[in-house]
Amino acid sequence: MKKVIVGNHAVSWGVALARTEVIAAYPITPQTQIVEELAEMCDDGRLAARFVKVESEHSAMAACIGASATGVRAFTATSSQGLLLMHELLHWAGLGRLPIVMADVNRAVAPGWNIWTDQNDTLAQRDTGWVQLYCENNQEVLDTTIQAFALAEKLSLPVMIVLDAFFLSHTSEPVDIPSPADVDAFLPPRNAALKLDTSDPHAFGALTTPAVYMEMRKRQQEAFDQVPEAYRLIDADWDRRFGRSWGAIESYRTEDADTVLVTSGTITSTSRYVINERRERGEKVGLVKIKMFRPFPTEPLRRALAGIPKVAVLDRNISPGHGGIFAEELRSALYDLPSSRRPRVDGYILGLGGRDVTPDVIGECLDATRGNQSSSSSREDLWVGVKP
Amino acid sequence: MTQIPLKEIMPHEEFLESGHLACPGCGASLSMRMVLKALGEKTVVALPACCWSIIAGPYPQSSLKLPLYHSAFETGASVASGIKAALLARGDTETTVVAWAGDGGTFDIGLQALSGAAERNEDILYVCYDNEAYMNTGIQRSSATPLGAWTTTTPGAHPEARPKKDILAILAAHRIPYAASATPAYPEDLLAKVRKAKATKGTRFLHLLAPCPPGWKTADDETIELARMAVRARIFPLLEIENGETWRITVDSPGDPIGPYLAKQGRFRHLKNEDIGAIQAQVDSRWKALQRRVAGS
Amino acid sequence: MAESKAILDIAHGVPPVSVSQTSTRVNKTGSWKYIRPLYRDRVAPCNQGCPVGIDIEGYMNLLREGRVDEARDLVLRENPMPATTGRVCYHPCESSCNRASFDQPVAIHSVERMLGDMALGKPAAPALEKRAESVGVIGSGPAGLACAYHLARLGYSVTVYEAESEPGGVLRWGIPEYRLPKAILASEIGRIRDLGVTFRTNTHVGRDVTLAERGMHDAVFAATGVHQSRELGIPGESLTGVWRGLDLLRAVNAGERPQLGKRVVVIGGGNTAMDCARTALRLGAEVTVLYRRSRNEMPANHEEVEAALHEGARFSFLTMPVEVTGDPREADIDPLRAIEDTFGQFDRSSEDPRVSAVLCARMELGEPDASGRRAPRRVEHSEFRIACDTIVTALGEEADTDYLPAELHGGAIRVTALGETSRTALFAGGDLLEEPHTVAFALGSGKRAAIGIDHYLRMKAGEAGADVELGELKLGPDGNLSMTRWRADDPVARVNPVNEVVRVTDLNLSQFGHARRAEDVLRPAWETRHDFLEANLGLPREDAMAEARRCFNCAVCNGCEVCLIFCPDVSISRRDDGKFDIAYDYCKGCGLCAAECPRGAITMTREGL
Repeated sequence: MKKVIVGNHAVSWGVALARTEVIAAYPITPQTQIVEELAEMCDDGRLAARFVKVESEHSAMAACIGASATGVRAFTATSSQGLLLMHELLHWAGLGRLPIVMADVNRAVAPGWNIWTDQNDTLAQRDTGWVQLYCENNQEVLDTTIQAFALAEKLSLPVMIVLDAFFLSHTSEPVDIPSPADVDAFLPPRNAALKLDTSDPHAFGALTTPAVYMEMRKRQQEAFDQVPEAYRLIDADWDRRFGRSWGAIESYRTEDADTVLVTSGTITSTSRYVINERRERGEKVGLVKIKMFRPFPTEPLRRALAGIPKVAVLDRNISPGHGGIFAEELRSALYDLPSSRRPRVDGYILGLGGRDVTPDVIGECLDATRGNQSSSSSREDLWVGVKP
Repeated sequence: MTQIPLKEIMPHEEFLESGHLACPGCGASLSMRMVLKALGEKTVVALPACCWSIIAGPYPQSSLKLPLYHSAFETGASVASGIKAALLARGDTETTVVAWAGDGGTFDIGLQALSGAAERNEDILYVCYDNEAYMNTGIQRSSATPLGAWTTTTPGAHPEARPKKDILAILAAHRIPYAASATPAYPEDLLAKVRKAKATKGTRFLHLLAPCPPGWKTADDETIELARMAVRARIFPLLEIENGETWRITVDSPGDPIGPYLAKQGRFRHLKNEDIGAIQAQVDSRWKALQRRVAGS
Repeated sequence: MAESKAILDIAHGVPPVSVSQTSTRVNKTGSWKYIRPLYRDRVAPCNQGCPVGIDIEGYMNLLREGRVDEARDLVLRENPMPATTGRVCYHPCESSCNRASFDQPVAIHSVERMLGDMALGKPAAPALEKRAESVGVIGSGPAGLACAYHLARLGYSVTVYEAESEPGGVLRWGIPEYRLPKAILASEIGRIRDLGVTFRTNTHVGRDVTLAERGMHDAVFAATGVHQSRELGIPGESLTGVWRGLDLLRAVNAGERPQLGKRVVVIGGGNTAMDCARTALRLGAEVTVLYRRSRNEMPANHEEVEAALHEGARFSFLTMPVEVTGDPREADIDPLRAIEDTFGQFDRSSEDPRVSAVLCARMELGEPDASGRRAPRRVEHSEFRIACDTIVTALGEEADTDYLPAELHGGAIRVTALGETSRTALFAGGDLLEEPHTVAFALGSGKRAAIGIDHYLRMKAGEAGADVELGELKLGPDGNLSMTRWRADDPVARVNPVNEVVRVTDLNLSQFGHARRAEDVLRPAWETRHDFLEANLGLPREDAMAEARRCFNCAVCNGCEVCLIFCPDVSISRRDDGKFDIAYDYCKGCGLCAAECPRGAITMTREGL
């Protein structure tokens, strides 16, 4: 069934098709439509979930923690300040290995108040032990939402689905909505063996001494190490059933490319347009889209970018005092390629606080990188289109 | 009046294990022991940070024979809400979900989540065991610390200068179906209230006074006596409130002078007679206000 | 959390999350403690306060558990006549009852009376062994009866010598019927007789048989009591119409109903005085009791004084008789009296002038004397006259010890803690000793001597050493000896018993609820003053059982579980035998069990001692 829906509602449809059992959420722009639609679905019977209408995002995540620890499928959605308020509990869910799924609509953080998109809210959570999957369009949003539950429950890790404020959240696109039966076959009900259960009582989260804390941290890391392969299998299964797959990364027209853009989120779609245009002009340019930011898909990126001379990373985020986060992570990932095959990585800071990233802006970045003849990576990212 | 022997009303089944890590004479551990006896095995406990996070034992131990979730400091009520939602989602309407928090996690950092849960009338039993300061971190004042008390953050010549927050009134203002105060010093009253709370749907709140020997600077064996004195001196009246409207005193507080209660506790050692008089005046005025609420309901 | 339980397998090493796999019982938190609780049964103050040495706490606890027959048997171990003591003992146990500090003492006497009445017609447990030795008991008052009873239960052949026609001594001849019905006494003496005790009545030792003949006994217990009333020592004492109190009581107890006239003056403030006053009331007289001190100093039991007052006796305190007068003109003053004279109501001897009045002096109280009471002093020129037809003197009695070896003559006899006199094999008890002259003390002294005789005879037979650890036999440091402890066959399971008495400060009173003491059912005074039927009807069974439930059960663990309930460390468990185990591996020594124990049955002791 095809429907024209906004990105936020694509999340809601995914949550409903996954037969989520507990939803706890608090309103925040631009996420609010997700939970409004879920409230409607619970109300009209399309979704048999308990909706806990909490008094804060903090309690939303806390309620999801409680629910997930009790063995059910739990979901919440938020943005920006709401996500930052959850921060402590993101760690709790992460180290508690609770397969909660959360949608975050990327929104810049205050002050001053800003409701438009950038990635600083989610990237600030990169060390909380959540898988992060960034989406480019509404179909990907819906598919990823359902895949996220499968991935989360496979490895006992919480998963965050990320979509851009307004460019996706409030933008209508045709979306193929799979049938509930097909989704049920893909995603059986959650069956947690270890949960809060009066017939098999355990305590969870008790004081963990230096003697064992580090081991638990390592088990968490091992689970993250398994994510790329696990996601590959889930995505392949999805592809078999629904004819679509997304990949941890996607290479687009990178064959024989001398310069490749690295993007995430909706900037990817604009970049595809730019790449197509340049290819038509005979320029050897391509694109790598990063969907999975945590764990960072180091191996696929190495395979995709080894031997490509120049890479331009478009970062809609900033780690103050360091630079664009995707660029830094990519440089780190490519560092131990042989120098002959290691690309030069240029970083561009753009689109913060919802500023438009137009084809011209992307073209500027592409040109700058292509025109730069330096052989080594610059450690200084370029701020694009910034007024003096 | 012939009393029913305690042993005939106290359930024999134990849900608390020996070897837990409470200090000797801990009122909080005894509170848990008695409350769980009244709740029985179909109980799940959400445990935000508090002394009990330690009492429950480190990995891989648990001092409870019940499922227990250690949660962040301010999330007792919200985690419990999620647990309850999950149980209901799986069709379990029978299990009691308990949030078990200290005074810090209730009066202070957890108040927002508690207020939210209470306002939503979540079907949970929230138990605050109140030892009147941040005891697990080493005796810092909380908004449950009583007027005049020494703590490490109200030291020397500057003891706690504000009266204790009236948490029961706050909860009552949420119009929850059941709110009550109790203490292990009056087990019969405590058990009756826990049973009533268990049988009630919606948010139930129990405020338990749990004396703390190291924090109150009292002898280990005075825990129960102190709680009894607090009740008798009207410092901690035992009452229950239904729907925020019907206020009832369940155990008579004869109004013993507060002096002997304070004198037993090192945290009040610095008090002069006029300080004690001021505290007594405050206790008296609160008692009068309570009497009015009881009479008016 | 994990979707697979396999993470808990040891093969997986440390699991990915902090999830419990054991209980905290792996922590031996008991190592934290520096003091540890010990169950140590101590002694209830009533037990120590009972001159008979009854395990009151023990039978109260059995009653609380509904084990009525065992309670009755427990009393009979120490007290041969609970139906009697339940009526006539002035219950010092109740004076020492810890409950007095809480509301009112337990009505122990009423409970004992119930048990005693239930025991009527029931035999005492027979002797476990038969011993060859024979013991003679002189006097069948409470001391003699108790000694005979206990010796018989210890297996000895016992012969009781009684000068009167029936056994019982003061119980039979001194205490009026309305306080102790003869049938009750006879039944309890019957139980002693049924143990095989031989009673030789109408046998006055010293006249009918001599002490020298005691060669037929291996030991002798002398308990002949006091019979010789002290004299007033004032003019006119020998006039007709002046009765010795004991003589009056004896006559009435023998079934006589002497005519005392309308106005009777009783002189004295003790229990005999009260018995005489109430007896005189029942004989139809108006009674005035003269006592030279005030009400506060009266040695008589409070309840007796109250009863006498209710029945209509008047009291003239601070009044001392100085002369008994027989002036017939006194009688003429009263016209009514003259009429009675005419009808010859009085047995007036022709020679002796009959008493007509007593001349008294007013007294005032000075400084305390040797007895601790304020000494009365005569007020000058305060004499006044009380007209009367009969005077009864009740000033105390003295013993007649002529039948005893000369070294024992003169004053109270001194005996060892086991009742032995300075003469080997000769024991003494009852009112012959310097002890309060009460039934309870007499019963206690008889038991003590029985233990002494048993010890003496066993030592003689080479079965026992010379030393007796008296402390271990006493119910508390100041209590009487326990026959149960002597026989070492306590049916009450005690835990680490120590001989300390539990005081009210050792109890946790907050574990108790207030409950009113049940008061004995008293027949109305307007009724009792006209007959010799029992005046105090005791308590109905259910009220007596309720009184038993009021008992704090001081000092001895009664399995109330308060310790277990208030243990924060879940370290106390109940055993099948109703006692408790403490898991010292987990007990942190907080002491809450000891602090909350209602009855002081747990003691905190230093770790490692």
